[in-house]
Amino acid sequence: MEEADEMVTPGEVLGKATDLKAGKGAYAASHNNTIYASLTGFRRIQAPPPASNDKRPTVEVTGHKAHGPVPEPGSVVIARVTKVMARTASADIMCVGPKSVREKFTGIIRQQDVRATEIDKVDMHLSFRPGDIVRAVVLSLGDARAYYLSTAKNELGVVSAESSAGATMVPISWTEMQCPLTGQIELRKVAKVVN
Amino acid sequence: MAAKPGSAPVTYSPNLGQKTRPPIFKDNDLDWVRPDGRGFHQCRPAFFRTGAVNSASGSAYAELGSTKVIVSVFGPRESKKAMMYSDTGRLNCNVSYTTFATPVRGQGSDHKEFSSMLLKALEGAIMLETFPKTTVDVFALVLESGGSDLPVVISCASLALADAGIMMYDLVAAVSVSCLGKNLVIDPVLEEESYQDGSLMLTCMPSRYEVTQLTFTGEWSTPDINEAMQLCLDACSKLGKVMRTCLKEAASASQE
Repeated sequence: MEEADEMVTPGEVLGKATDLKAGKGAYAASHNNTIYASLTGFRRIQAPPPASNDKRPTVEVTGHKAHGPVPEPGSVVIARVTKVMARTASADIMCVGPKSVREKFTGIIRQQDVRATEIDKVDMHLSFRPGDIVRAVVLSLGDARAYYLSTAKNELGVVSAESSAGATMVPISWTEMQCPLTGQIELRKVAKVVN
Repeated sequence: MAAKPGSAPVTYSPNLGQKTRPPIFKDNDLDWVRPDGRGFHQCRPAFFRTGAVNSASGSAYAELGSTKVIVSVFGPRESKKAMMYSDTGRLNCNVSYTTFATPVRGQGSDHKEFSSMLLKALEGAIMLETFPKTTVDVFALVLESGGSDLPVVISCASLALADAGIMMYDLVAAVSVSCLGKNLVIDPVLEEESYQDGSLMLTCMPSRYEVTQLTFTGEWSTPDINEAMQLCLDACSKLGKVMRTCLKEAASASQE
């Protein structure tokens, strides 16, 4: 069930909360049980999933531009390592999910968040190097300075790294990457890249 | 009530066309013409356009009479390191004047008072929890100051925020009313503001019919306050419609 698209702007009434459920770009005001738009875009009504008990269709506002992505706990990010210290590594977040960020966000990978096992024996310098591209998950909003990132999963870790010779290295094990030019092996927390 | 057109005039009313603005405000009940010839309860025509600044996430330009304002919105971006940690988003507002904004050429400068009032007017309408820990920057620049600067800045800023795709409960429309003797004039120009007895600015979310900010200055009587607020609320809802039309036009233009 898709209804004819109608352009709405923030604050426009989309319907009653008794008939509809607020989806993306919409919100329900509890004081008068009304659903309003919170973005500019097209009003779209989606039928409820057949399995759910709630028979109300969902109303969404889509189509127009939304603000740039912001990291949130649980989102998978792509980040570039900028600094590696004894207990932490800093990284600049470049993508949140599939979207690239418009503004710079900094993240921190702490020693205990690098891998899932033997977390106290992690050597940060044998896990990351500045310039590495890592896939990580946002653990929490962190402190005032940075987001806390974690690579403690098989599919998380270094996805792309350059060797000291300047070539993109090839992963050869969970902890090693090899330079195709010199054959030199460097240590990393390697991610299992799933396509 | 006014005489019906065509019938013999029963009441005397001054001819508006011939009268020029009296230099001195003499009697309280004296009728006079506004500098731009508007009625007392008539707003200046409003012109809005979004997408005025390319580098910003969202922007808007507003022109009401000779008041010209440009607002750009940046972000959400990472909060400054010195800021305390916060679960919700932050709004950072700044209002500044160009050097050529006022008739007297001065240094264009930041307007601290307007900045904080803009922040207070907007922050109630923005869903700050949708961008945790980050900051949205709102920079307003008054290109030409022609009176009612702050209301224009506020309305324009809410359009710029909508253009940036920041989630909002509603648009924010702002209108001010000046009290001159017994008369209330809406949307005062610079000249009227300079000899007003009191002024009132009301910012509201037109669709939700909620007030986000209300400012009084000067001398007011209770019936005047009631009347002025009614005037402002009505003007805000009409201004809101103009703003919505602008947003819709811009959105449908970008679709093509």
